[in-house]
Amino acid sequence: MRLRRLFTNSYFVAVVLALVIFLIGRWQVPGFGSLFSIRAMLVLTALLAVAAVGQTLAMLLGGIDLSIPFVIGFANVVAAQLYGGGLPFEQVFLIVIGFAALIGVLNGILSASLGIHPLIVTLGVGTFVQGAVLEWTKGFPGGRVPAFINQFVSIGATLGPYEVFGLEIGPFPFPAVVPVVLIGGLVIVLVLEWTVYGRQLYALGSNPDAARLALVRPVFIWGVTYALSAIFAAIAGVLLLGFTGSAFARVGQPYLFQTIAAVVIGGTSLLGGRGSYLGTLIGAFVLIELNTVLIGLGLNQSLVQAALGVVIVILVAVYGREAAVRARI
Amino acid sequence: MLRFSNALGEARFAFIFVIVLLIINIAVSPARFRPSQLGIMLGLAAPLIYAAIAATPPILSGRGGIDVSIGPFMGLVNVILVQFIITDRGWTEPWIIVPLVLGLGVLSGLINGLLAAIIRIPPIVATLGTYLIYSGLTTYIMPAPRGSIPGWLASLSQETSIIPLALLFLVWWGIRRLPYYEQLMATGGDDRATYSSGVNVTGVRVGAYILGGLFGSIGGLALTALLGSGDPTVGPPYTLTAIAGAALGGVSLAGGRGGLFGAMLGAIAIFLLQNILTFLNVTSFVLQMAYGFVLVVAVVLNSAAVQARLTRLLGGTQ
Repeated sequence: MRLRRLFTNSYFVAVVLALVIFLIGRWQVPGFGSLFSIRAMLVLTALLAVAAVGQTLAMLLGGIDLSIPFVIGFANVVAAQLYGGGLPFEQVFLIVIGFAALIGVLNGILSASLGIHPLIVTLGVGTFVQGAVLEWTKGFPGGRVPAFINQFVSIGATLGPYEVFGLEIGPFPFPAVVPVVLIGGLVIVLVLEWTVYGRQLYALGSNPDAARLALVRPVFIWGVTYALSAIFAAIAGVLLLGFTGSAFARVGQPYLFQTIAAVVIGGTSLLGGRGSYLGTLIGAFVLIELNTVLIGLGLNQSLVQAALGVVIVILVAVYGREAAVRARI
Repeated sequence: MLRFSNALGEARFAFIFVIVLLIINIAVSPARFRPSQLGIMLGLAAPLIYAAIAATPPILSGRGGIDVSIGPFMGLVNVILVQFIITDRGWTEPWIIVPLVLGLGVLSGLINGLLAAIIRIPPIVATLGTYLIYSGLTTYIMPAPRGSIPGWLASLSQETSIIPLALLFLVWWGIRRLPYYEQLMATGGDDRATYSSGVNVTGVRVGAYILGGLFGSIGGLALTALLGSGDPTVGPPYTLTAIAGAALGGVSLAGGRGGLFGAMLGAIAIFLLQNILTFLNVTSFVLQMAYGFVLVVAVVLNSAAVQARLTRLLGGTQ
């Protein structure tokens, strides 16, 4: 039963979409199916998928997290700055993750304990954080990127070759981030399906009143969920540092819309309680593919943006619709 | 005083905030707040005020209703007005420009209302979609700032800046006397109960988006008046301040609570805060921190839980 819920039709639709977009790309865009373009799309998908973990969790709760792009920028700049200042990377990572978790806890607890819409809280907290980061670096972040992070996400990097039982496997033509995100993603799906936290998250998202009667503590779950969201956003920020090679406080901006779109294309309901991270993984790939094809078709950046807006509205109109009022009485 | 603050309802916090900020503003720069300068000050604040007012009706209609496309829409109105209407066609008369701009507002409201209320795409996704479409079209139509505007339009950001705002509130005053207003607030409060009592909930919501679009188009006009030209980059940031202003003014994101007057007060509070900080010569980064901080503090103080506690502390009646 649980497994069957993983494969309800919105995943099917998303996978079909991914295939259709791929075929259109093959047909219309020269070089689209090449190894390099597939590698690039896989890496971009992996980065988006990390950033979208938190959006998935927040939406399963019936909330939303608009602080993700700001936390990405925060982690991106602070990690580069501290590492450039000579701290060992493990310490840098712990500091960044710790601060991000605090930001997330603040988001979750403020929203849940005072009954304020998370949209406003996360927007306010995120705006503040970004202002603080920009003020700290005076708008010109410096610092350095550890080489192994660079290697971890670089499109040109390969994995392996490995020796398994005397057999040489690989080298695989993609960087380590791709399989790590894939395996990590499956772990997230299983955690949400099988752990107490995961079940309470779904319970609170689908019916807050009933969940409270079942002794789910809303403020605790909201705090944990938004902390997780900010932690994954911070990880995405550090990975982006390796991807772009230098720090930039607004590097997360595109991820505001993209994380929401990936989650929604993946079939997770904004009203909470329905959906899964598996959908988000597929949704992230569809979105990146779409973006690549639109650019490949030779549209200029303004028109790509407009076309993306049209396509997402159409996609969500096909299978992300809310129930009519009369169906909810 | 207590009765007065009750009449202000959810907006009373924003009202107090505006008074305090106004006093500080007058203290630090009395010259800018002389009565003769009020038209110019209002002109400066106008795009922000209209953006917050435009954001309000969709939020009032409830069930996640929101229009995040409002900023880019004001930017789109700006470039369409300057490029297509004034530069290409040479139409500069108010009786041509004003109806065309208001028409754009109704059209945008219809599109958002169709997507969010009739097709029932979650409003934040639907209007993020139109956000992308509008901002893409804006930079496509006008890649870099250019153009000029007729004198009557420029004066809308100075001596005549009060006229559109007064007309807008006259229209809202009329709407509040129609059954539509009660239906809107009821829909925002509990759409299922409202539907059950025979109200066309979908129609009410589409109406809310049309009102938002209409007010937003006036914002586009005010923005153009203030800029004096077309600029593709200025629109999008207004989305953030519009929603912040509405939330500050006591408009509940859950729907059904708040009003345009509160949203206007919220926007004025943000403008005054911006003014003080600019006067203190802080960087735009500190300004951004202040936005975020004020937004969070405002929604915390406006939240039902804190309000109930405050009322009990002050010994007022519930």
